[in-house]
Amino acid sequence: MTHMAAPRLPFRPPKPGALSRLRLNAATSAGKAAAAASRLARRGTGASIQGTVMLRLDPGALGKLLADRRIASVSGTNGKTTTTHLLTAAVRASVADPDDVVTNADGANLHHGIASALANQPRSSIAVLETDERVVATVIELGRPEVLVLLNFSRDQLDRHHEIKSLGRSWRIALQAAGSSGPVVVANACDPLVVWSAQPARRVIWVDTGDVWNEDAALCPECGSLLVRDQSRWDCPGCSLTQPVADYTVRGDEVSDPNGRVFTLDLQVPGRFNRANAACALAAARAMGVPAQTALDGMATVTSPAGRYATATIGTARATLLLAKNPSGWAESLPLATSQTVVLAIDSAAADGRDVSWLWDVRYEQLAGRTVVATGPRAQDLAVRLRHAGVDHVVEPDLAAAFRRPEVTRVDGPVDVIATYTPFQRLRKLGGLA
Amino acid sequence: MSRPVNGPVKLVLVYQSLLGIYGDRGNATVLGKRLEWRGIDHQLLVVEPGEEVPADGHVYLLGGGEDLAQISAVKALRADGNLFRAVEAGAALFAVCAGYQICGTSFTVGDHDQVIEGLGLLDVSTRRGPIRAVGEILTRWQRQDGTSYELTGFENHGGHTTLGADAVPLARVEVGVGNNGDGTEGTQQGTVIGTYPHGPVLARNPELADHVLRLGTGLDLDPLAVPEVDELRRQRIAAVRAGRRS
Ligand SMILES: [Zn+2]
Repeated sequence: MTHMAAPRLPFRPPKPGALSRLRLNAATSAGKAAAAASRLARRGTGASIQGTVMLRLDPGALGKLLADRRIASVSGTNGKTTTTHLLTAAVRASVADPDDVVTNADGANLHHGIASALANQPRSSIAVLETDERVVATVIELGRPEVLVLLNFSRDQLDRHHEIKSLGRSWRIALQAAGSSGPVVVANACDPLVVWSAQPARRVIWVDTGDVWNEDAALCPECGSLLVRDQSRWDCPGCSLTQPVADYTVRGDEVSDPNGRVFTLDLQVPGRFNRANAACALAAARAMGVPAQTALDGMATVTSPAGRYATATIGTARATLLLAKNPSGWAESLPLATSQTVVLAIDSAAADGRDVSWLWDVRYEQLAGRTVVATGPRAQDLAVRLRHAGVDHVVEPDLAAAFRRPEVTRVDGPVDVIATYTPFQRLRKLGGLA
Repeated sequence: MSRPVNGPVKLVLVYQSLLGIYGDRGNATVLGKRLEWRGIDHQLLVVEPGEEVPADGHVYLLGGGEDLAQISAVKALRADGNLFRAVEAGAALFAVCAGYQICGTSFTVGDHDQVIEGLGLLDVSTRRGPIRAVGEILTRWQRQDGTSYELTGFENHGGHTTLGADAVPLARVEVGVGNNGDGTEGTQQGTVIGTYPHGPVLARNPELADHVLRLGTGLDLDPLAVPEVDELRRQRIAAVRAGRRS
């Protein structure tokens, strides 16, 4: 096993003083008590309530918890949970004690989720943090991460779409402010908004992920001109923004590095999209000093990050769970669903996006010839979409009841399930995975 | 006014890469299916900036998008000119949200409310409102034959639209904001309709879809039973009446 050399870092937030530490300890205890109460009441893992209580008692807790650790932060619209798991596995493979690496493995990626994960492992010297797009600027400022991975930036919830560009701007400002003590950014060169957001970083490692989704990035984020694309790259005719030359390139199972070395990915998570995530995790791990082969071996052990791609038993049915949070996520997930009956679960809670119009930007037509069981609170919206896509379907809004439908129980082998965020979390519970 | 149909009905989906981020392409899907289900031949033409807008369409569709995209779309449509010619010749134009705004005489963009001249196809103007209108909306569409029909959708806009003398409101708001909180929603002027709701709005409101098709083609359209849509309307209307705007 290889051990990482501790890098010299230009700047660290000052160590918390004794009083400040006392306050943090009190807040941590109160948070843990709240989490335990929440678990007893069967309201979930309690990670979120723990962090909320902690941050209320000590608003400076996050900064103190981030201090004195080596931090890798992972953000982007899609794939942050899986990429965080891949990067964590890569880094853990390189240290003697896996507990030396802390991560928010459950996907709780806002201030309170990150704070509670860190509070639970105060002695871990390395943190790999899935970071919500809205928290990236704060983590850069408070945590001085060593590496920041920016995966992609597509529209998530339609009702919040207008916020995307201002998020990108907040990343730019934070990277600018961090200056020479800012993170090395590993960024997806195929995504114009990511490229624009990463530009001010002191150093960027560009990854050509071979992304195919471009329906969200028609205009140059810098000057507003219509971007020009050909098969392999994009360019702005109005200003100097252009697709950067890649350091890492993903093609199929192979990833090439800046020195022309080619690595073969051996992953247990499926799909082109996850190979792109793995390439970003590989680049990030190496930037943290993990040898390539060690990182690849670590990543090969990742099976079902926070329940994604896991097979669960729901009622009498076996089900493989896929999460799709937005049209680009659906474009990646739908081809992975191959069972004769497919269960699609739709909701419109805040985390799913309150406007379900996006259903019409997904090519459900590709399911023609198979049967869809439409479930979740917004199953009827999906039914209308499927009717117009010429796809046979039945509607059962109740998630558990959907898995008792004959269309599901008669399937040989697991049925593929694709769900938006809220029903996905409920399905994990129904399947005993959370 | 409409355009005679000799051959397939031509539906033109305009500039999806600019005005296509809120699922409004579904409006074109719905129009196409409602023709197909009645055995009426149709073509769906998708046109992007840089390509010529077909001049011989029967129904043109614009969707929602962002500020900068609105400016690009106005520039490109002016330079092209065919949308104006088609509307002049009787084609229908159905424009949603940002697409609705650019059809007016002017609208504003950016944090500094820069005023941009619109296409001038509707006598409306749009300025940034005091708050963003986000949520389910329910309106009542008063039809020329005296009947009315409930329209259900999801509105999400920061602009407030004021109607000029030549613009007639499309509908009256029951729940939601609509044009600017004055109780009106959308506009119809000749064969041009502008409206705020997504959903997509024609998927949730099939009678409005058929109205758009009749406007553009003059065809007689038989009623069509789509039980999935009836049930969705029942659910969405009940939810918004019960005070759930999401
Ligand atoms: Zn540019």
